[in-house]
Amino acid sequence: MVLCLLCPWIAPYDPYEIGAADPFLGPNRSNWFGTDDLGRDLLSRILYGGRITILVAIAATVIALIIGTAWGLAAGVRRGWLDEALMRTADATMAIPQILFGLVCISAVGASVVSLPIVVGFLLSPTTARMARSAVVTELSSQYVVAAQASGFTRTRLIWSEVMPNIAPQLLVQLSINAAAAVMLEATLSFIGLGIQPPNASWGTLMLQGYAKIWNTYWFVAFPALAVTITILAFNAYGERIRKNLDSRKSSVHE
Amino acid sequence: MNNLIEVRNLTLTVPSSKGRVPVVDDLSFTIRQGEKLGLVGESGSGKSLTAFSLMRLIKEPVRIESGEILIGGVDVLKLGADQFREYRGSEIAMIYQDPMSALNPIMKIGDQIIESIQLHKKISKADAKKEAISLLASVGIPEPEERISSYPFEMSGGMLQRVVIAIALSGEPKVLIADEATTALDVTTQERVLDLLNRLALDRNLSILLITHDLGVAAQFSDRINVMYGGKLVEQGEIKDVFTNPYHPYTRALLNSRCDYTINVNEPIKSIAGQPPRPDNRPAGCVFAPRCEHAISLCTSEVPKLRELNKRNVACIRVEELLMVNK
Amino acid sequence: MSTRLISVNDLSREFKGSGGTVLALDSINLSVKEGTTLAVVGESGSGKTTAARLILGLDKPSKGSILVLGQELTSLNQTQMRPLRREIQVVQQDPFSQLNRRHTVMRIIEGPMLAFKVGDKESREKRVIELLEAVGLEREHLKRKPHELSGGQCQRVAIARALALDPKILILDEAVSALDVSVRAQVLNLLKKLQKERGLTYLFITHDLGVAHYMADEIVVMFRGRIVERGTRTEVFETPRHHYTAGLLASVPVADFNHDRGAISEFVAQAAPNKADTCAFRSRCSIGRNLSDCASKVLAETMGSATHGWLCHFPINR
Repeated sequence: MVLCLLCPWIAPYDPYEIGAADPFLGPNRSNWFGTDDLGRDLLSRILYGGRITILVAIAATVIALIIGTAWGLAAGVRRGWLDEALMRTADATMAIPQILFGLVCISAVGASVVSLPIVVGFLLSPTTARMARSAVVTELSSQYVVAAQASGFTRTRLIWSEVMPNIAPQLLVQLSINAAAAVMLEATLSFIGLGIQPPNASWGTLMLQGYAKIWNTYWFVAFPALAVTITILAFNAYGERIRKNLDSRKSSVHE
Repeated sequence: MNNLIEVRNLTLTVPSSKGRVPVVDDLSFTIRQGEKLGLVGESGSGKSLTAFSLMRLIKEPVRIESGEILIGGVDVLKLGADQFREYRGSEIAMIYQDPMSALNPIMKIGDQIIESIQLHKKISKADAKKEAISLLASVGIPEPEERISSYPFEMSGGMLQRVVIAIALSGEPKVLIADEATTALDVTTQERVLDLLNRLALDRNLSILLITHDLGVAAQFSDRINVMYGGKLVEQGEIKDVFTNPYHPYTRALLNSRCDYTINVNEPIKSIAGQPPRPDNRPAGCVFAPRCEHAISLCTSEVPKLRELNKRNVACIRVEELLMVNK
Repeated sequence: MSTRLISVNDLSREFKGSGGTVLALDSINLSVKEGTTLAVVGESGSGKTTAARLILGLDKPSKGSILVLGQELTSLNQTQMRPLRREIQVVQQDPFSQLNRRHTVMRIIEGPMLAFKVGDKESREKRVIELLEAVGLEREHLKRKPHELSGGQCQRVAIARALALDPKILILDEAVSALDVSVRAQVLNLLKKLQKERGLTYLFITHDLGVAHYMADEIVVMFRGRIVERGTRTEVFETPRHHYTAGLLASVPVADFNHDRGAISEFVAQAAPNKADTCAFRSRCSIGRNLSDCASKVLAETMGSATHGWLCHFPINR
């Protein structure tokens, strides 16, 4: 599953061969996934598309992480009215259906490879923020924090060197969850035409193009969809593995 | 006095890098009717696991490897899960250290007691309620008819522990296991709860197995005492005998290392060097030998068997010699 | 004439909660002489942990003054307090959670030095090794993380860390309560040894009378935010005047069968305090329960000697 993720980057690329073959061929020996309406090899388009999808997803995830962590930490460390304000905003943002919100944002700034990660990242940050906040609040009430405070650590230093290492595992897991969600969001947005624009293609775009002809040329939609599904599962599985590893490393059997 | 519970050669193991290693090793002891048996030991001694075994609450990765536990003459380890469930609560019950986590926070305490009563007896809710009130009274809770509608968060630690005791008694067990049941309580509350347990033991001819790391509590409460170390039973006898004249070097060292207000403040406390062994790192021969000041080379190769001496059981090959020396 | 390194005056701390205001500390006074140990004895709800946090400067009082090494904590902000932190350190109750589970022993002990940017990597490492040996640990422990150590070893690491900056005062907040009996003995011995060698001053907070007796030169007994009795170890243990103190002493189970604990006190263990009473202990006191003075007459500390004082209208007479 992890391999599937890396495939679009590592696998040997077939270049864009537009018009190299007959259009609408089903899966055959020279075109494993068939061809699209312009005769382009679908496999190559999926590989290239995958690259874009995944890049966008990763960018979005990183953005979500940065925004979300900062958001959550600010709230958790400061508490008081700032905490309330920030968290209510997070709640509000999460209450709005993501796709709708995404739609609005994209229409406002226009769809592009740059704007998409930012918007998706922003959409995903509230969940990260909540998680970061609760993690930081838990850690701050620990005895080792009291000890660090008494040792003379300044607040910034304390958060960075004492608390962060302890919440990092949870953030990592959040990363993989967000990555999966990002893939989904990007595919959806592109599918409704507000994501990656042709001639660039992401999996969502491919599905959009194939959707119209779905009955005769099922492969057009099926393969990208499959790719999306597998990638999402892969991200989730990866996240699970990280979590299990960290859980077993942190606790040990005492007795 | 007959033996209500007999543990014979009980061994529990856990997995480790060296395969399965024992955490309770060939343990044998009895609990007699109406007696208060104390079980003391430090971390890693296996005392809590012993208690859980009696209740058959052992879960992977801990496994009961061998041995028998006879309750009323029946080896309960050989019973099916359903058959043993009859025993839990009605023959043998257990209370733990933290009363807060033993109780359901969103349920009134009265309902929790009633629930337990109805689990063991087929009586109506009204009758169960009456019994619950009388149970609360017998554990010393004032105004039980009012208290029955309280929630756990409205009550103090000591009160909650009494409620927990009431629930444990609702099945009318013959044996009550108290696993560090007073450790989390204030010393004044602890006094009262121990008093209560004492009274219950007398009034109901209830046997109590009190597990504790606190030597003072063991001294005050028990009739007989079991001392465990590294998964093994090292000494057993009447409390006063064992504590005033300990036979096993570990018992003696443990008593010497205590810190209560009777010890001499001008001298360092006679602590035991080193630490208790981890299950995967147990020494060959006597489990206490590496830290024993009387150990000889034979101690590191021969595992001492529990032997009887002057109405006591001790697991030490040098015990007679050492007694001579001390005289 | 030795100096008082800690001097607390009329200290109060209120907490506003959903059930109204709680007075965790009610005008307490205490002081600790240089090079000695003051034990603060109290059960849950006595306010002893609140007091510790205030003295460490991790909390601000509602009223009163806290003088640490001559500096008034209430007039300092967090930045101004920093230099003082080098002189007063803490060892807490839970051996594992007071150490950062992601750090190695080396990093943990180095912590305070890093916080104050003391020395360079080499000199810090040397000092850490020095401290390790002083608390009875080995070099091989440096690379380990807390979960790879036993409770006693963790506590030693905590002590080493506390000593890293060579403080004058150590606050020990139930520092041995979570340890096994034999390990407790080792750590107490270590603490006494370090005190003698380095002239440390200890503020030892505990609920365990035996530990208080062994470690303390002077003791204060707290109950519901007030100091109900204070004195030297001998005064408090041999001639307690407050009924609560006597009750505590009588309740503590002792493993020595040759020791006679005296009559079990008559006081009630569970009784809701009557907020209107001037004496917070009245509802539990076998004497005070029946006396109206204990409900209405304002309490002031009576001193029986230069060091022995109590907060009671009808103290135990000897």
